[in-house]
Amino acid sequence: MRTPSGHEVYGMAAEYPSAAALFEAAKRVRDAGFKRWDVHSPYPIHGMDEAMGLKKSWLSAVVLAGGISGLLTAAIMEFGPSSFLYPLTVHGKPTNFFTVPAFFPIMFELTILFSAFAAFFAMLIMNGLPRLHHPIFNWGRFSRVTNDAFFLVIEARDPRFTEIEARNLLEKSGGQHITIIHED
Amino acid sequence: MSDRSQALPTPEGEYFESNRFAGLSVLLGLVALVALALSIAGAMIDPHQFSFSWLFAFAFFFTLCAGCLFWTIVHHATDAEWSVVVRRQLENIASLAVVLAVFFVPILMLRHHLYEWMNIPPGQEASLDSKRPYLNWNFFLARTIFYLGFFILASFFLRRLSIRQDKDGNPRCTLMMRKVAFIALPLFALSLSFGAFDWLMGLNYRWFSTMFGVYIFAGTAGSSMSLLVLVISALRSAGYLKEVVTLEHYHIMGKWMFAFCVFWAYIGFGQYMLIWYANMPEETQYFLTRNTESWWILSMLLVIGRFFGPFAILLLRSIKKQPHRLCYVAGWIVFMQMLDMYIVILPALHGTGMHLSIWDFVSLIAIGATLGFVYLRIVAKASLFPVRDPRLIESLKLTN
Repeated sequence: MRTPSGHEVYGMAAEYPSAAALFEAAKRVRDAGFKRWDVHSPYPIHGMDEAMGLKKSWLSAVVLAGGISGLLTAAIMEFGPSSFLYPLTVHGKPTNFFTVPAFFPIMFELTILFSAFAAFFAMLIMNGLPRLHHPIFNWGRFSRVTNDAFFLVIEARDPRFTEIEARNLLEKSGGQHITIIHED
Repeated sequence: MSDRSQALPTPEGEYFESNRFAGLSVLLGLVALVALALSIAGAMIDPHQFSFSWLFAFAFFFTLCAGCLFWTIVHHATDAEWSVVVRRQLENIASLAVVLAVFFVPILMLRHHLYEWMNIPPGQEASLDSKRPYLNWNFFLARTIFYLGFFILASFFLRRLSIRQDKDGNPRCTLMMRKVAFIALPLFALSLSFGAFDWLMGLNYRWFSTMFGVYIFAGTAGSSMSLLVLVISALRSAGYLKEVVTLEHYHIMGKWMFAFCVFWAYIGFGQYMLIWYANMPEETQYFLTRNTESWWILSMLLVIGRFFGPFAILLLRSIKKQPHRLCYVAGWIVFMQMLDMYIVILPALHGTGMHLSIWDFVSLIAIGATLGFVYLRIVAKASLFPVRDPRLIESLKLTN
């Protein structure tokens, strides 16, 4: 979608006076059936995920996979050498499965480490980061988002997006300074 | 945000109608009377076995009640919001400490069967003589009175102030309870840790573990949160608290059960591994006894049943949001706490293997039924949740 001046359109944005107004607007946009849109606020708003109709994130599944692979890595790297390849008796302690108390700390730590890595990198991928620029920064007012302003942006790639419908919806939900955001 | 700022009518208090459950109360009272009479018989017939059985039952119920006092204190000290609606039940269970203090008297009377160090005259055991400044009868009695006195007074004041607030909604009560909580928090840590040292670790005066107090605390906090889930669910199935306690509260209680399941394993394993690694005879004897003969089976059941099982189940979010299923896990964790206390106490008597005794069950039933009977009296005395707490509305609208 392009504006008459030939700019590619990223989406339609509006500013809201308070977190409560943004919360109500999010519910309206959700009920109107839009899928590709987002809200921006200086701080997290309790219950916003539900107001936006967001489902459970799949991040937890990735973290679980990371944790399990960390546990298995530690188990293989410890039992492999110490029980099979080069059994070394220390303190008269066994070298079979019953050495496991000595191995638990490493198993625990690698589980945590791999889970943390999985969480961190999956979060980066899910958010499309790292990223040097975003079209929404083309809007001057948006710089106040880290201070005292609340915004809602409907993206143009949403299948239901038309300029008129998006503008009407944002107006009805109490949005101010409604504007089109250019892609570049 | 806006969801939470909408006005919600302040609910009227809900009152437990004790006459609806008069039958249960009478039944519990009768069972308690019979079991207490049998206990007296047990103390006459087989005082040695009975003293350990009674200490086991006492420790199990005491940790559950002390844990509820812990959650009440933490609620006030952190100015918590979510736990307002369940706090009255925590206060009710914590104030059972009075009854438990009475049940400590048999332990004092049978002390010579339980605590070997009380029977050894000075000058015979060098390892004991060096501990005499701490392990002597006068100091032991003074400490015990201090611990029990603390649990009674703290639970009494917190419950009384909370009920006083039900009448007038005076926010000053909240501030006073917070002050009580700040004083009670360090005293709780000391009383529970040293209580564990004196009453449980003292069963074998040669053994020592600095982590033992924390270990008992970890089991205490997790199992009392599980008990709270059971009590709240029982009240809900009786038709109370339906509009007050929501799935969100269950979700948080489930999270706490999960957290303390992990914490218990962390502390329990930490204690085990340090002793296993250092390999010092005074320390390893504790685990040697518990890892040989039939005790090994129970120890393995504890490791799997108290940690691995609940860990895997409570990891799922959906379980924590289904009260019915969460109750099964909570009941299991309370049962595991019982097993934990059994493994801590009974091997001091039966060092060569597990030996179930009828007095174990009689003691459990005697103390349990009495506490249940008293609880049914206490619970009817005040509203089932703090009606005029300043944070009640926020707690009702909890989301997490």
